[in-house]
Amino acid sequence: MTPFEIGLLMTGLLLVLVVIGMRVAFAAALVGTLGLIAIFSMRLGFEKGFVAALKMAGTIPHSKSVTYSLSVLPTFILIGFLAFYAGFTRQLFEAAKRWLGWLPGGMAVGTVFATAGFAAVSGASVATAAVFARVAIPEMLDVGYSKRLSAAVVAAGGTLASLIPPSAILVIYAILVEQSVAKLLIAGFLPGLFSALIYILIIVGISAFRGDAPPVRGFTWSQRIQSVPGTLPILAVVAIIFGSLYFGIATPTEAGALGAFVVLIAAFINGMRTKQLGQALHETAKLTVMIFTLIWGVLVYVRFLGFAGLPDAFRDFIVSLHFSPWLTLVIILCAYAVLGMFMDAIGMLVLTLPVVYPAVMALNGGETVSAADSAFGMSGELCAIWFGILVVKMAELCLITPPIGLNCFVVSGVRPDIPVQEVFRGCAPFFVADVLTIALLVAFPAIITILPAIM
Amino acid sequence: MTSQTAPSGRPETYIRFDGALGRIENLFNLIAAASILALMLLAVVQIIGRTFFNSPVPGFIDLTEQAMAAFAFGGIAYCQRVGGHIRMEIVLGRFKGRALWIAELVGVVLIWLVVAALIYGSWFHFERSYQIGDSTIDVGLPTWPSKLLVPVALSLLWLRLSMQIYGYLRLVLHPDAEPIAVPVIEDVTTAAQHEIEEAFGEDGANEGGRA
Amino acid sequence: QDVTWNVSVWGKRRAFTEHLEKLNELLAQKTDGKFKLNIAYGEALSKSRENLDGISIGAFEMAQICASYHEDKNPTLTVLELPFLGVPDLKTQIEVDEALYHHPAVQKDLARWNAKLLMSSPMPQYNFVGKGDAPKKVEDFSGMRVRALGGIGKAMETIGAVPTTVTAAETFQAIDSGTVRSASFAPHAHLSFKTYEASNWWTTNLNPGTVNCPVVINIDAYNALPDDYKQALDSSVKESLDHYLAEYDKVYDQWYKTLDEMKIEQVTFDKDELTAFKHKAGEPLWQAWVEEMNAKGIPGQELLDLVQSKLN
Ligand code: NA
Ligand code: NA
Repeated sequence: MTPFEIGLLMTGLLLVLVVIGMRVAFAAALVGTLGLIAIFSMRLGFEKGFVAALKMAGTIPHSKSVTYSLSVLPTFILIGFLAFYAGFTRQLFEAAKRWLGWLPGGMAVGTVFATAGFAAVSGASVATAAVFARVAIPEMLDVGYSKRLSAAVVAAGGTLASLIPPSAILVIYAILVEQSVAKLLIAGFLPGLFSALIYILIIVGISAFRGDAPPVRGFTWSQRIQSVPGTLPILAVVAIIFGSLYFGIATPTEAGALGAFVVLIAAFINGMRTKQLGQALHETAKLTVMIFTLIWGVLVYVRFLGFAGLPDAFRDFIVSLHFSPWLTLVIILCAYAVLGMFMDAIGMLVLTLPVVYPAVMALNGGETVSAADSAFGMSGELCAIWFGILVVKMAELCLITPPIGLNCFVVSGVRPDIPVQEVFRGCAPFFVADVLTIALLVAFPAIITILPAIM
Repeated sequence: MTSQTAPSGRPETYIRFDGALGRIENLFNLIAAASILALMLLAVVQIIGRTFFNSPVPGFIDLTEQAMAAFAFGGIAYCQRVGGHIRMEIVLGRFKGRALWIAELVGVVLIWLVVAALIYGSWFHFERSYQIGDSTIDVGLPTWPSKLLVPVALSLLWLRLSMQIYGYLRLVLHPDAEPIAVPVIEDVTTAAQHEIEEAFGEDGANEGGRA
Repeated sequence: QDVTWNVSVWGKRRAFTEHLEKLNELLAQKTDGKFKLNIAYGEALSKSRENLDGISIGAFEMAQICASYHEDKNPTLTVLELPFLGVPDLKTQIEVDEALYHHPAVQKDLARWNAKLLMSSPMPQYNFVGKGDAPKKVEDFSGMRVRALGGIGKAMETIGAVPTTVTAAETFQAIDSGTVRSASFAPHAHLSFKTYEASNWWTTNLNPGTVNCPVVINIDAYNALPDDYKQALDSSVKESLDHYLAEYDKVYDQWYKTLDEMKIEQVTFDKDELTAFKHKAGEPLWQAWVEEMNAKGIPGQELLDLVQSKLN
């Protein structure tokens, strides 16, 4: 067998292992190690090859985890948990309600605003949905909103978390494709706001038409102004991270750490106790080690792919098809939509990007191509950023689609009185909105690239 | 000694060993958590020092990188104990009884094998840096302490996996016995329930496996 | 007999890797295409800092390394990275490198990794670009936040500058925002990180030092080669390096063109000022290095003298 054939065989094995439920990080590490053993045995004989393969695999966990740009991850995760344990979520929702309740579907609009704000401090879509299911749904039901709309807006709003900085998944993408973490984080900002705006338009439209979400009036200006201070910690974190990355004052890690520090201080002022800090740290550590294990596990497999020459071969194959680059891109995005129905977003990205990303870059004309010579009309670097945001948005879309759109299950789980089918049905308009958003992001890449391009 | 003779009985030695191992795992996770807090504070010191006193922390990037091993690996065994490493459960979730336990057993045995391989490999990675020498790019910190953490944390994981092999083997033999100290598969709804509990911090009560 | 060697390098194909491409070409000519190099870019086979580990494991047969990425892995090579040695150009750098690579103490140092030095990849001196008032003399660097790692960082510290760690990719922004005032790289790196876009001056001949990045090969793999392949390999080094120098000339042309286009002030220090730098920022560190090597049982003074003898 040639190394290339071993590469294909092992990739097939990995798919089988992942589908039958082996933990993704270890399935990838196992397949990568087996592949290295096979390839090294061919070159060095079995005994020497076996030892060399294990030693090579053994360098990767440390070598790939201990990378400065990855150190931003725990700080982002910590911000999200602290903001939750300190009760900032509820305060954000309260303020959004007082300021925007008067619109048709105003409470739902407020929920989108609040999830967008919380998205900014939480790296995790599913956690955001869980939090707001408990905070926002009861209030919406109290003022006469339908269950379907209340539940759907929370499930859909939760998907904003991965685009608006801080976002763990964008950091992971940036590391895997070796692009600037800061630029990816900044690039997610406008598409995130854009998604939120489209959600709001849809809510206002549907509510005005169906009348199942009456406006909430009667808040005085002084009540409104009183609600503002409670939102300051979250706004401060967004400003710190966005500002320091955009103006290059601090690295992502420094910005994340400063953001976490500010939330920590605000949380103590808000009445958080050491016990809750402990819980937040505990949860942060658990999520952090999960992500790191996934990253190095997959990178063991990627190292094997490097020896097998598979990414290069796949890239040459895609380019040799002579499909239009745009058509190929759309096919790739659709493939992600299907995959995302069954897989966790981070798992999906780390498993596919090592092979798919070089192909996409080659379609555009290579990593160093200039905008003028490229297929998609943008430089290699901006194409990498653009594709990253598109893929992450695809993964988010899958959180509200059947069969296992996890956000819908989470919302239905918090509110057992709302069946999951009802949540899925309510999400249909938001699904349409997301498809529209993605189409616009594909057609008008500037929405994504304008901010990073002028950093 | 254990449930092999009495399916409904409680395997005491196993439970005791699980508890002891759990305490070590908790300690490692605590170290990981503390290192995250320390990283945050160090970065804040770095920003303040650089901005206001023109004195950045010397070798800040080197220091951060070497310290990262603490939170990148510290909680790995704990995470396996509570079933925190992600996987796809759609297919597995359709299995019931003995078939499910056999599938889980095979999965854990495979992880056990690859972790053993990685302990071997990462030990040599540490040993090279300790015996021949290795240091960081900017301020020349030795890298071996950080590298040593990998085989240590993986060994702890390997012990946890050994426990889980026993735990699943016991269930393969007695599919109706109570699952003890192994993560139990959840359907999508229960998985969602767990996301909720995690978001609300209510899983402190049932540490030591989700059984 | 067909032999393919895997070669681990980082980054994309560029002037810095052209000697490997040329070497591959020459080997193909001399062995009728039977001895090939599979040059794997972009850290596909190993992270750059772990290339020596990969060689020692036997995972690949050839790799490029930089001494300062891991000084303790290759202490003897770091003599070539001491600050203000006064290397005028790449041709001289190759001569110095080759002399040192043949020293038994250096070969013994690398043999610990089962590695043998094949050839140099001479790097241009790391001159500074920066923003604000251009420095004219040693004192002007006092209090200046600079992006300079390792030995150059230490040297700049002795004359009062403040070395600040910023990753290479973030350097442009760091200069632009004032996090640092200047940064030292070789010209091609200045070009790829676009540091000049935030800057208004460049030191043409400060020549504070550079990194030393030899190509190494696995000793067992070399010994296993048939004699005519060994011969083909050894005899191709010189021509590969000539090709490399020609490629670097193009980089320099591009760099000076860019400086002119961007109207960047070119600061040239006179001989007295350069001597002052050497005395204040160089020699104390040379002495410290010799003592450090002595403590490790490495003939530091001998290596330093060897290097100096090739420069004067
Ligand atoms: Na976010
Ligand atoms: Na999904």
